[in-house]
Amino acid sequence: MLLRHETVLLAVLVVELVFFGVAGRNFGTADNIANIVRHSVEIGLLALVMMPVVLAGGIDLSVGSTLGLCAVLFGKLWRDGGLPWEVAAVATLGIGAAAGGTNALLITALRLPPLIVTLGTYSLFRGLAEAITRGTDAFTRFPPSFLFLGTGRVAGIPAQAWIFALVAAAMWLLVHRTTFGRSWRAIGFAPEGARYAGLPVGRRLAFAHVLAGIVAALAAITYTARFGTAKADAGTGYELAAITAVVLGGTSIFGGVGSVHGTLLGVAAIAVLGNGLSRVPATMSNAGELSGLLTGMLLVLALAGGAVPKWFAERRPR
Amino acid sequence: MFRSFALFLCLGFVLLTGCSKSGPDTGASPSGGTPAGKRLTIAFMPKSKGNGYFVSCKQGADQAAKDLGAELIFDGPVSPDPAKQNEIIENWITLGVDVIAVACENKDGISTALKRAKDKGIKVVTFDSDAEPAARDFFVNQATPEGIGNALMDEAARLCGGTGEFAIITASLTAQNMIEWQKYIEARRMAKHPGMKMVALRPCDDLKDKAQAEATTLLGAYPDLKLLMNICSPAVPGAAEAVKQAGKAGKVKVIGLGLPNENRRYLKDGTTDTVILWKTVDLGYLTVQAAAALAKGELKAGATSFKGGKLGEFRIVGDNILLGEPFKFTKENIDQFDF
Repeated sequence: MLLRHETVLLAVLVVELVFFGVAGRNFGTADNIANIVRHSVEIGLLALVMMPVVLAGGIDLSVGSTLGLCAVLFGKLWRDGGLPWEVAAVATLGIGAAAGGTNALLITALRLPPLIVTLGTYSLFRGLAEAITRGTDAFTRFPPSFLFLGTGRVAGIPAQAWIFALVAAAMWLLVHRTTFGRSWRAIGFAPEGARYAGLPVGRRLAFAHVLAGIVAALAAITYTARFGTAKADAGTGYELAAITAVVLGGTSIFGGVGSVHGTLLGVAAIAVLGNGLSRVPATMSNAGELSGLLTGMLLVLALAGGAVPKWFAERRPR
Repeated sequence: MFRSFALFLCLGFVLLTGCSKSGPDTGASPSGGTPAGKRLTIAFMPKSKGNGYFVSCKQGADQAAKDLGAELIFDGPVSPDPAKQNEIIENWITLGVDVIAVACENKDGISTALKRAKDKGIKVVTFDSDAEPAARDFFVNQATPEGIGNALMDEAARLCGGTGEFAIITASLTAQNMIEWQKYIEARRMAKHPGMKMVALRPCDDLKDKAQAEATTLLGAYPDLKLLMNICSPAVPGAAEAVKQAGKAGKVKVIGLGLPNENRRYLKDGTTDTVILWKTVDLGYLTVQAAAALAKGELKAGATSFKGGKLGEFRIVGDNILLGEPFKFTKENIDQFDF
């Protein structure tokens, strides 16, 4: 097992960096690296909290809609509620926790499948955001001190990258160094076994979903600060982008296997690919389509790469 | 495992800091025009890439870039992500393009990114739908509300021989641009065509089915109706279908603002008489010509006219470059267009 999934993915990332460094126009500049980081923070944050949910054998399709709802309510609290943006931001984190708590309650108390529950809240949260704004109202003209979070730099590094690094480090410790991480892994590996072993399965799953809600709210804040506008369509499709990064990063969609650094590599590999393609003269005008295509291929290869050795191992004559 | 995570963090850090040493001056193009001899790079962004309307804009944009010998980058959102336009613009800033031309999906959101581009010395034009005026140099305006209103009313009066009843189907009674058009339709009617009488104004929620139902109701309620004027694009084929099914093709005329492909069938079988829009290919062509002239310093604020390559002179009012009169698509010329 020399070729661990993460090692292969790291190699893919290095190949991408070298290739685009050579073939891409102004790819390796500080400003462009900052762009790549800025543009992947929200999907990265969602991927970081999607990872434990998937690790525990679940899924959360509602994180993109939670982002949209939180962005709109943050705008509402700030503009119409007259709250300072700092207070509105803290309240928004609470709203995110409530959104995640709704998922948690339905999944653990009512024992409903996460796929169905979060498919429901995926529509519900987006629908609420649209109802609050009637689909057209947009919150804008935020104060510069708030926009700094999305557009400013601290010590030369994009402001939101610090937030992201902090969440990434916390998630790494949580998943790889605490009993929470071990229990998520155990639940994903064998839910009944975990139950018999005396793990508080319901509470552990609930925690993962509440965490997903809180961090989705945090992503709503960095998104609004970067974009300068909060509208009901914020974060559309981000749930799938986050799941893609998590699965590409080596977390098994069946649960039980996965790592936070793998997820980070998954996010980076996709972000660098998209940005790099828009800088190579031959692919400049097709970057969006090509990066979708290549990400898909990468994903299929990554999954097949994991399955092929197993296939051979099972058929090896004894 | 901790070691691999630490390694990863270090790699990220080295990337971030290491690259900042590699020269911050390479980020954007030098301000104040392009050095002679360098090929002009024009970045052109539609609201969405697959939309037939913008694909036809691209035909014109490609032609203009070829005529000018410029490099054209055509990119825009593929998926419905409102922040995507901003991300692409931010990437173009660091790519070092000379000028950006964009059809804005979200006026407020995109203006901050466009202002940042302007700060870096990149010229900005908008087309089709504008950003905040401070965020761009010029807006290539495809049609003024007055031009649209006049064209629709004149065409209606021409088809009805100057007298008769007509009804309007709109998207919604609150849509700002449609209210504006109705104002000019009414003004033109009073001034030039007093024999025409508007008997009804119905909303269709931008839905073809609803427009068809509304049109059917109108045909029953107003037996003397001579013409249906449809000012949102789904209503044109919707109304045509209603007229056709009622067996009144030719007796009740159908006109409106719409896309040629959606109305081709009805124009050809004579149900719909005229579809009014602008030449989208010309819109793309003019936009790229204006963008190039702006980047070269040939087009400056305060100009009152502009020569758009092979298309000739265009009028500039304020900071709007006007594409000119709307274009009428009819049975005779529809085969020349595909969008």
